[in-house]
Order: sequence, then C-alpha cells, then structure tokens
Amino acid sequence: MAEEFNTESMLDMFLYESGQLLEKLEGIILEKQDADCFDDADINEIFRIMHTIKGSSGVLMYENITKVTHKLEDVFYYLRESHPDDVPHLELVEKVLAVSDFVTGELDKLKNGDTPDGDEKQLVEDLDEFLGRLKGEIKKQGIEMPQANRHVEPTQFYITPVAGDDSHFYRISIHYRSDTQMSNLRAYSATYALKEVAEDLLYTPDDILSNEASADVIVAEGFHMLLQTKSSKDEVIALIDSSEAEEINFDELTKEEYGAALSEFGREDAAPAPAPAAASKDEAQDKKQEAPKPGDYVVKTKEAGKGKTLAKHQPKQQTIISVNVEKMDALMDLIGELVIAEAVVLQNPDLKVPGLELSNFQKASGQLSKITTELQEVIMSMRMMPLTNVFQKMRRIVFDVSRKLGKDIELEVIGENTEVDKNIIEHITDPLMHLVRNSVDHGIEENAADRTAVGKPAKGKITLEAKNEGGKVYISVKDDGKGLNKEKLYQKALEKGVIENKPMSEFTEKEIFRFITLPGFSTKEEVTEYSGRGVGMDVVVKNIQSISGRLDITSVEFEGSEMTLVIPLTLAIINGIVVQVGDSPFVIETASIKEFVRVGEDSLIYEPSGEEYIVLRGECYPFIRLNERYGLPNSVDKVEEGIVVVLEHEGSQVCVLIDKLLQEQEIVVKPIPSYVKKIKGLSGCTQLGDGSIALILDIAGLLMQDGERR
Amino acid sequence: MKILLAEDDFASRKFMDKQLSRYGECDVMVDGEEAVDAFMMALEDGEPYDLACLDVMMPVMDGYQVLKAIRDIEAQKGIPKSKRVKVIMTTALNDERNVKMAFELGCEAYAGKPIDVEKFEKVLNKLGLI
Amino acid sequence: MAEELEKNEETDELEGLEEEDSQKGKFMTFQIGKEFFGISISYVNEIIAMQPIAAIPEVDDYIKGLINLRGKIIPVIDVRVRFKMEPTEYTDRTCIIVIDVKSTMIGLIVEKIAEVDTIADESIMPPPSLGRKDHERNKYVYGLARTGDMVKLLIDPERLIRQEDVEAVMEDARKDEQS
Repeated sequence: MAEEFNTESMLDMFLYESGQLLEKLEGIILEKQDADCFDDADINEIFRIMHTIKGSSGVLMYENITKVTHKLEDVFYYLRESHPDDVPHLELVEKVLAVSDFVTGELDKLKNGDTPDGDEKQLVEDLDEFLGRLKGEIKKQGIEMPQANRHVEPTQFYITPVAGDDSHFYRISIHYRSDTQMSNLRAYSATYALKEVAEDLLYTPDDILSNEASADVIVAEGFHMLLQTKSSKDEVIALIDSSEAEEINFDELTKEEYGAALSEFGREDAAPAPAPAAASKDEAQDKKQEAPKPGDYVVKTKEAGKGKTLAKHQPKQQTIISVNVEKMDALMDLIGELVIAEAVVLQNPDLKVPGLELSNFQKASGQLSKITTELQEVIMSMRMMPLTNVFQKMRRIVFDVSRKLGKDIELEVIGENTEVDKNIIEHITDPLMHLVRNSVDHGIEENAADRTAVGKPAKGKITLEAKNEGGKVYISVKDDGKGLNKEKLYQKALEKGVIENKPMSEFTEKEIFRFITLPGFSTKEEVTEYSGRGVGMDVVVKNIQSISGRLDITSVEFEGSEMTLVIPLTLAIINGIVVQVGDSPFVIETASIKEFVRVGEDSLIYEPSGEEYIVLRGECYPFIRLNERYGLPNSVDKVEEGIVVVLEHEGSQVCVLIDKLLQEQEIVVKPIPSYVKKIKGLSGCTQLGDGSIALILDIAGLLMQDGERR
Repeated sequence: MKILLAEDDFASRKFMDKQLSRYGECDVMVDGEEAVDAFMMALEDGEPYDLACLDVMMPVMDGYQVLKAIRDIEAQKGIPKSKRVKVIMTTALNDERNVKMAFELGCEAYAGKPIDVEKFEKVLNKLGLI
Repeated sequence: MAEELEKNEETDELEGLEEEDSQKGKFMTFQIGKEFFGISISYVNEIIAMQPIAAIPEVDDYIKGLINLRGKIIPVIDVRVRFKMEPTEYTDRTCIIVIDVKSTMIGLIVEKIAEVDTIADESIMPPPSLGRKDHERNKYVYGLARTGDMVKLLIDPERLIRQEDVEAVMEDARKDEQS
C-alpha cells in the first residue's frame, strides 16, 4: 500500500501508518478483552505494532510516543518469550488501551498542527511497575528469563518542520516619492530586510536588481510585496525603511486571500492556501512524475526576485483513506450511468419540438455537462496507480536473468511514476515481463566482446521507460543490443511457414519486425530457460490487444531494438462514433477512424472468390460489408448509398460499409454478458443516449477475421 | 566541531550559519559542487568535517548528489562508518519518497524546513556531536 | 399409481431447490403455445414488459440479443425458439422474466405470464422419459405438476444455462477440428 501514497509527506505517512496500526490494535483488544488471555498471534501482532510505531516515532523524534511504545513492546516481549501463566488479562488490556489512547491523542495533536507534548511519565511508570510484576511472576513460575529485549536506537532522524499556524500574511505596497532616486535599490533593501523574517516573500516588479528600468516602474506603480511571516505587523513595519516612501499600504490577508494573491504575483501553482513548500514545488513539479533521484533537484538558475520559500507547515488532517475497490467500481459504474442519463436528458426527443425556447436550458445543461466531465476525471484519477510496482518487478527480472545468463546489464528506469488505470496494470505486467526477458536474453549480445567489436560499451543497457502522451501510455523496453536482422527474420518466418511465400522485398520493415509476434515464431535457435519457446510474443500481442493496446517494434541492427506498448489510459470510457447498419447501431472508437468516404460502384473490385476490395486514391483496401458480415436486415446494399469508413489498426487498414452516421459521443464501455459467447469483431457494448444498446466494433478483431478468411 | 553548510538561499544560509556557529566553526558553501570540493579539501588536509548540513535544491549539484558523492568518497578512502561525516539534509521537500531516498543514500538526519531548532539540537546530541 | 412410487426419488433431487422456505413450492407459471410451464420463483428477479432488444450477430437463433435493464445489460432468450418451436410475433402480452441463475442474469421471453402457483412436492412427477418426441423440450423439464385439470411443465433453469455452456464448448471444439 505504501507505494501508492508515496508522494505524501513524511509526517502524513507516519500519521497514516500509525493510525492504521492503532486501529488494528484496538480491533485485537476489543475482540479479546473478554477472553482469558491473548493468544500467540495477538501477542506477536501487538509486539510488532508497538515495535513499528516505536521505530518510526523514533526517527521522527516524538520521544514520548517512542518511550511509551517502547515500554509496551517490552511487556509483550516478555509475554512472547516466556509465556507466563496467570497474566492479569484485564489489567493488561487496560494498559494496552491506555497506550493506544495516549498515542492516538498525540497523533491527533500532530494532525492539528500542534506539538505532541503529552506527558508520558505516569504511563511509563505504570508500565514499568506492571513489567516488574510480570518479571517477578515469570521468575516465580520458574520460567527461564529471556535476554533483555534489545532496542536498536534509530541512527537516522527526520526533523519535522516547525509546526504552527501562527503565520501572518501581508500585502505591502510602497509608493515612493516621484523624485526618489534609484527606487529599485530602496525596494531591494526592503526585501533584504524582510528576508530575515520571511517564510515566503514575493514582490513585483521582480527584477529590481537586474533591471534599472524597474526603478521607473516602481515610482510609477509602486512596489508591491506579498509576505508570509510569523512576525507581527509592527515588527514588519519596523524593518522597512520608509524614508523616501510617500505611502505604505499594509494589509493583513487571510490565508485564502494570500493564496489568491499569489497568482497576481505570477506564481503558477497558486493554490487557495499556500501549499507547503510552494516554491520548491514549482521547481520540482516537472520531476514529480518520476521517482526522485540524486540530481533531480539541481537548481538551474535562481530567478531574480523569487526567493526560495521556506516550507510552511500546515495543520495536518489525515488525507488518506483506504476504499474498497468494489465501492470504487460501483461509483465508476454509477458515474457511467450518470453520463448516459445526462445524454438521455440533453438529447431528449421532447426537446426537438420546433420553436422551443431553450436558451436557459442550454445554459443549465452546459453546466451539467461540465460537472459530469469533471466527475469522470476525478473518478478516473482515483483509479490511477503508478507503474512503480510493475517496474520494480522488472528490475528484479533483469537482475536475475542477466546474472543467470552471465551478461553484464544495466537497467535504466524512466517514468515509473506514470499512472495507469488499475485494470490496465493487471494486464500489462506479464507482457512487459516477457519483453524485458526477451531484451536481456535475445537483445543484448552473448559476449561483451561482440559489443566492444562494434564500438559499444561492454556493459549492456536496457531502458525501461513509461510516459503519458495524448491519452495513451507508452511503455517501452529498449536495449542497445544486436538489434533485429531482417534477413534472418524473413528466412525464419518462411521456414516456419508463418508467412506467405512472397519475396522479402514485398514486406515493409515494420511488417518484417512484426513476424516475431506471429504464433509459432521464434528466432532463437536454442530454447533457453527464460525465453525462446516461441510462445510469447504472440501472447504478448494478444494480451495487449485485449486492452485495446498495440505493440510497436523498431530496431536497427547492431544498435538495438525498442519494443513499445501503446495502451489507453483507461478502458472504461472511450470517444466513439455511433453509426447505423440496418436497424442496429454500432460504435467505432474515434481514434481508429481514418476517414469517411462516399464511393461509387466503380471503386470496387470483385474477386472470383467473392472477396471485395475498394480502391481509394490508387490504394487497395480490404472491404467488409457489415450488414453481410453480421447478417443485418434492412440495410443499404448499394455502396454509393452508404458510407465507407476507413479504419486503421496497427498500420493495417480496412474499409467497412455502414448505412449512416448517427453521432459522436463518449461511450461507457461495458462487456457483452459472458453468457453470450465471444463474437469476433465486437469488443463490448454500450448504452446510447436513448437507452438503446449499441455494439462496439473491435477493429483488431475485424482485421484478424478478415485475414483468416483470406 | 567543524561544520560544512551548503545552502544557496541567502535567508536560510544566514539563519543556519547563525544556528550552527554556536556549535563550532562553520564553512558556508553556496552550491553543491563547492560543498563537495570543500569536503574533499578538508579530508585531504586531515581536518575532515564533523557535520555537513546540505540543502537539497542547489545549483550545479543538488544535495542528494552531494550526499552520494561524500559517501562515495568516504567509501573509496576506506573511512569506517563511525568516522564518517554526519550529514543532515535540510530541505523543504518533505515527502516520504525524498526522505527515504536520502536515508538510503546514507544521511543521518533529514530536517524539514522551516527547521525546528530544538529538535535539530536534539539530533546533534543523539549523533554525539554536542 | 406410479406417482406414489416415484415421488420419493424425486424429493431427493429437489432438495437443492428448497433452500428458501418462503419461496418453497412457489412457481411462476407462463404460457408458451398451448402449454404451461413453471419456474421456481427463487430464480425469478422480476418480470418486465417486452422492450427493444439489440440484436447480436453470430449467435444462436434463440438468443434474441441484449436489453438494457436500468443500466444493466443482460441477454434475453426466446424460450419458444429454445424449445425448437416456430417463433411467433411478439404481442403486448409478451413478457420478459428476468432470472438470476448462479449470478448470471438472463431474460426469458415468454408469450404470456400466467400466475404464481403453489405446487406441493407430492404433486410433482418426473416427466415420462420414453416415447417422447419433443426431446428438446424435455431436457429442461424436470417434472410435471398437475394443478386443477392442467398439467404444468417445470423447468430447471440451471440446466438451461448449463447446457448452453456445454453446447458452446462443443461448438468451439468442432470449429477447431475443422480449421
């Protein structure tokens, strides 16, 4: 779980984890309070909980928490090691609850931004006394006393930023007399003086030192500052040199006003309240997507006038809750329904009565649409998970496999914090694993000598990169190995009989690379433990296609290969165009549509076998009449009466004939009930605005089916 | 004791210098590279630093890089763990990932800004510096 | 005469159906053609009027397509076609019985809903297994019940579903062999 929340602050994490542990603790206690004693599992668990809280509070130096949990840990240590009989269970329960209450109380103080200053002495004494009796009892029962519980003092500490909510926010405007010389320097000395007390300071114009012309601006428009500080108004005023000032405006702002004012001063992430470390976030924002690593925080150039902000600790409310996935899915479904219901209302036939005055309705519906769209975005973001865990597995694979194969390989991971829909993560782990294995096994050369011979470093390199671009996620596995040899691939494909007997020149480079994804193809002569069984790449492609993704392969011989998975950010909602064939509506994903054309009979080519092709601008495409394919009655038969849709998937095109276009809309994808067996060329269904059901065309399936028929 | 302070922001530097000077002689650097240079120089002169306070966001090299460089140099020179310079990161980046990373890189403490002086002193105490 | 003998064997087989006491012995009955059928009410979720059905291509003829039941998309089958009878036009009496069999929701299109009958176990007899021609109908019928002067055929929806799967698997296997 921790992985998912890892951008939270250290303190948040401590509060969250400790809170969870305490909840667990209370669960155990409440369950066992009326029992005779704790069983071994409980004792271990309580020991572990105390140990964990002790450790983390030690790192954060909340010493009272550390001391109390330390003592209770001791108690459970002796219980665990010696199993004494006749432990006063009720008293023990009371002690545990007392500790739990104490720690909870301290955590609450932290959440409110207060100092955890609870006095632990009495509690520690009580626990000591109890422990003393317990030890006495152990001795009396003749049980061997275990070695004292060894405590390891933390060797690393985290100093939490000073807490407190007593900052003031000021907007200060200084208007200098019009004859003031070098007003920019005066302004500078004001900022210099304020820096001593400032937690955050912004000013405009911000180039007072570097730009002499700013002096004129200051004289004309005044010098404005935003200040966050603990100092009082009087203290601040005392710091400002007012000798040449004609007027100093001094407004105390609320935190909210301050936040709003930040944007006036050109700070980009003007949050409603100044976020902790606002300026640091500015600088770090670009890096946020990636795991931090040394070198991420090199400050390029300090911008004039933008003093680095000191972190301001905000009162901490617990910001994380864990939610049952089923509830999330239910919410997701409901929002899907809402989107549909919205369409039902907005496209209601009742509105089509001529002469209706709808301007107010339109305004209100615009607002509604905006809210539903935002709602969708929020739920989508809730379902997003970083790829961190998946990438972690890949590290392990590279490590294991490369060692087994005796290859020296370095793995570079980029963008592991890229977020993907939870459902999709489940689908890409295996394919990705396969690609990584392939790269280690087939991609990187057997011998380092082969690498150095072509001028590459002896150490192989595999780059695993994820990025999010235009609604798609690209995950690539790149190696600097030997690359793919087109000639070999072609020969192999011929031998295995997975391709037609055509000369190599008739295949494009892309097509040749794609041979490796055909079933029953493997270029490796010997089967190794890790790959090369020839089942794999085709499975990879199938898996990826099942989530509407694709695999791109690029390679340069002797330089390396790159396999890129291109997958949608989310599966649940797509943009689609609703078309009609006969009486049935179908949905085609907008992204796969290249164009719509109307053609005449003369563009068609009939084969004796009954196959049809369509010629567009000299190119010949396979042609599918959806009405014939799916036996749909009442549809247009003449090609000039219908519309031809040119579809593209992974570089292959196919044309389908439909009757007419209905509309474009966001489609909430639902599976076809499993009771109905899988139909080739259909990937799901959806509900349209009028409540009727449309089937979603699966372009990959159509193409595949088309290929099979030939 | 001998202290190395690397901090590029003037206000923070002023503040930290004042705080640290109470415990010993404090050398102030304004970017990451300078900090490593200073560390190296002190090491070669046989007067290594006892404490290094490193800001994270700095020009040329960031605090994490400096920390890594320092630990690498120490490892290379075979300096035992107990004799290593104590490093305290001082930064406004308080998210867990950054803190964990710094711990992994081998710092002794990680101080979120604004720095809690009282606790800072406590840490110095725990680290056996004062 | 034979009733007495076979009754005991039947009860064993019926035990699984009798979990919910309140629904025990209650059957939703409906008419297809001239005959009346019954389905244990414990399977029945609800009964809805006929509604637009989205046809699905390439499926068996009795699967009429999908309907939208308050946002849930469920398949519907025409029981008449399932029993290999000639399809008839749907009328305003045509209904869909939505049943839930082991968490699979399916709509059954029937010509006319009759009533909910209480049928005692004792009055259920097994269908005569020999000499019947309409085997199709028979494999889903596990019992006959006499109420008044009518005989009702009791359907086991689980068999109805299960057999679907078997057929689908068989069909796939056949296809694989051919290709």
